[in-house]
Amino acid sequence: MKDLQIPKIYSIKKTDKKLLKDWFYLMTIGRAIDNKAPNYLKQAIGWSYHAPYAGHDGIQLATGYFFEKNKDHMFLYYRDMLTAMACGITAEEIILNGISKATDPSSAGRHMSNHFAKPEWNIHSTSSSTGNHTLHAVGVARAIKYYGEKAVAISGQGESSVSEGYVYEAFNGADKEQLPVIFVIQDNGYGISVPKKDQTANRKVANNFSGFKNTRIIHCNGKDVFDSMNAMAEAKKYAMEESKPVILQANCVRMHSHSNSDDHLLYRNQAERNYVQEYDPLAKFRRMLVRYKRFTEEELQEIEANAKTELKAAHKAAMGAPDPKPESIHDFVFPEPIVSEKYPEGLHNEEGEKKKLITGLNETLKAEFSHNPDTFIWGQDMANKDKGGIFNVSKGLQQEFGEKRVFNAPIAEDFIVGTANGMSRYNDKIRVVVEGAEFADYFWPAMEQYVDTSHDYWRSNGKFSPNITIRLASGGYIGGGMYHSQNIEGSLAAIPGVRIVYPSFADDAAGLLRTSIRSRGLTMFMEPKALYQDPKAATVIPDDFEVPFGKARIRKEGSDLTILTYGNTTHLSLEAAGKLEEEGKSVEVVDLRSLIPLDEETILKSIEKTNKVLIVHEDKVFGGFGGELSAIITEKAFNLLDAPVKRVGSPFTPVGFNRILERAILPNTERIMAAAKELIEF
Amino acid sequence: MSKTVIIYSFHTQKSKKVAEKIIEAFGKSQITAVNAEELTTEDFEKNDNFILSAPTWFDGELPNYWDEFVPDLEDMDLKGKTFAVFGLGDQKGYPENFCDAIGILVEILEDCGAKIIGKIPAEGYTFESSRAQRDDIFVGLPLDQENQGRLTNDRIKNWVSQLKKEMK
Repeated sequence: MKDLQIPKIYSIKKTDKKLLKDWFYLMTIGRAIDNKAPNYLKQAIGWSYHAPYAGHDGIQLATGYFFEKNKDHMFLYYRDMLTAMACGITAEEIILNGISKATDPSSAGRHMSNHFAKPEWNIHSTSSSTGNHTLHAVGVARAIKYYGEKAVAISGQGESSVSEGYVYEAFNGADKEQLPVIFVIQDNGYGISVPKKDQTANRKVANNFSGFKNTRIIHCNGKDVFDSMNAMAEAKKYAMEESKPVILQANCVRMHSHSNSDDHLLYRNQAERNYVQEYDPLAKFRRMLVRYKRFTEEELQEIEANAKTELKAAHKAAMGAPDPKPESIHDFVFPEPIVSEKYPEGLHNEEGEKKKLITGLNETLKAEFSHNPDTFIWGQDMANKDKGGIFNVSKGLQQEFGEKRVFNAPIAEDFIVGTANGMSRYNDKIRVVVEGAEFADYFWPAMEQYVDTSHDYWRSNGKFSPNITIRLASGGYIGGGMYHSQNIEGSLAAIPGVRIVYPSFADDAAGLLRTSIRSRGLTMFMEPKALYQDPKAATVIPDDFEVPFGKARIRKEGSDLTILTYGNTTHLSLEAAGKLEEEGKSVEVVDLRSLIPLDEETILKSIEKTNKVLIVHEDKVFGGFGGELSAIITEKAFNLLDAPVKRVGSPFTPVGFNRILERAILPNTERIMAAAKELIEF
Repeated sequence: MSKTVIIYSFHTQKSKKVAEKIIEAFGKSQITAVNAEELTTEDFEKNDNFILSAPTWFDGELPNYWDEFVPDLEDMDLKGKTFAVFGLGDQKGYPENFCDAIGILVEILEDCGAKIIGKIPAEGYTFESSRAQRDDIFVGLPLDQENQGRLTNDRIKNWVSQLKKEMK
């Protein structure tokens, strides 16, 4: 969109003196902290990461000035210290974050210094990955629009962040959905030491997006307070009134090195270092206040003295604040899930008509969308007439609940997950379900957001829980080859902060889905797609069934051997156990249902009875989840074992497409039987 | 013809050099140099003919000394006064905003009622866009010491003789 005229609302001559005083005070105290921060590191107190903001003063002051707490949503990046202060975060709180104290409002010392947040005001906890939060800003802007609030989401970021693919995904999505979000690009010409020309051909990086239909692009001088104020005023007015995105590129200078681990003497010559100092925005603002006789030199000195006094007191208070306790590390890894009164063990004795696994999922989704009007679902291939999800799991949902709650996403997996994270930041009632990718195999582009979302609850010290269920059609036995058959739970399980469930029967799928959607937190819901329509996975499903996390289910009792399994291989294990039963061998089949959290109690109890364990899963043996199970058993039940723990799974290869290759790779009943016999006879 | 005032920053290197060339071409006795960094409104009020140096900084900004003077400039009545603007730019390094500062300053001067002289055909330069360009003319004299330094002397000579004619 062509740049339109920016009204000059703020100027040195017209702006109210009280406001000018507030701004000068903030800029002065902010700069004093910016200059003081490296001393904390030199004295070994902390603040080992500090990205100085000096040179970005105008745009940061303006961005914070236009933030309305508890209404707008702010996503700061690591250089946004003055923005944070202009939003209302105090000098003391900035230092608490800098030196990682337990009372740091951002993370209680859990996140890196210079990552400012105050989730209770909607100043959100953000990642260190540059521009990662653009997707969160888009997600929360989607909620702002859906709930009809007059507010904006604001994302602060450097100009190099536009090189990231997910930033493109965010800009594209915001443009497509016409969302009230402002991307404030603070352009200081460098990504650490990398000059802008090595990032993109266009110096005015925002203009790379000039083809977007609904996005307004505004350029301003981020070193100038008034130009920044006018640009930001216009950006907010436009985003709110038109409900459309704005990319605001503010030209800044970076007066110092990127951070205290960088040395700009290595790549900037003396002339450049001089002129960036000459273009110091604070010095310019001060000169103008005097030149235009808005303040006398004495008045400014008094303000500077007051800032110094506040900083001194803030420093003293922060130094005396408590440190985080080592035993607190286990707090806020997962939020507490809902507690099932009726089905505490996730078992039932319901009788009646059996339903397929796909029906169980579909009916549970519909029931949960009726139960909670703040439930949403999106994904690739989600809703187009009779198509509802790649396998039609969500069929009929859009017709019943409307296209604002059930909708297609662009083919951008990171966007699908990242905007789920963002939307759930709007309030704690919202529950988001996403089809993370068409198939589990295509989930990898979303790993960036998956990992980041896994951090959120812990990183924010329990202040923000992303309440998301990521559904993924997973596994093989469909002749799909290596892009439609992979199991990825082994890799995912290595990342703390996410529950992983993997049902194998219709009732458990329905019960676990209900628990996932109703509970706070992030749950990875793996769906064995080969079982969607398979009669062997069909069961009776109580309408209100719930399966708590971390509750395994003994699908067949036995005394000679325990098989631990989940997903597709539960059925293969049951078949094997049935055949072994005919040979007089008694095999217990434990369907884990939840991998994280894991039902260690049921596992150990079963081993106590059988003294032998076979782990069966479809994923690779090497690096698969079975390795973790095996290690836990060896560590906790070595004395109970009469044989080594054995594993059956795929070899260390991708899954082949030709059925001959697939059969040679994926586990089958015969291989399970052979391993089981070997163990029983050990 | 009343005496002409040339305004440029005395602390600059390249702009100062080209300003001195303009002074020389103009005739030292006919022109007074004023330091842009010490500019006052009086300098504008008491003179009628001006040559201003407006180098382009960053991605198309006025230098601080002009930017800080703009709030005063905007409130002036410049009817009956004549201005010519030159400025340094970099066609290759900053092709998206080649000599934007000339255009920015000229727009402000025009809003104040000033007469702008020294416009030249936009020929012999290669760039993508410029606020100094209107259709096929530049509203001042763009100079590019980075890429076309050898053309500077001739450009100044021609421009100054054009100014002398236009100032009559």
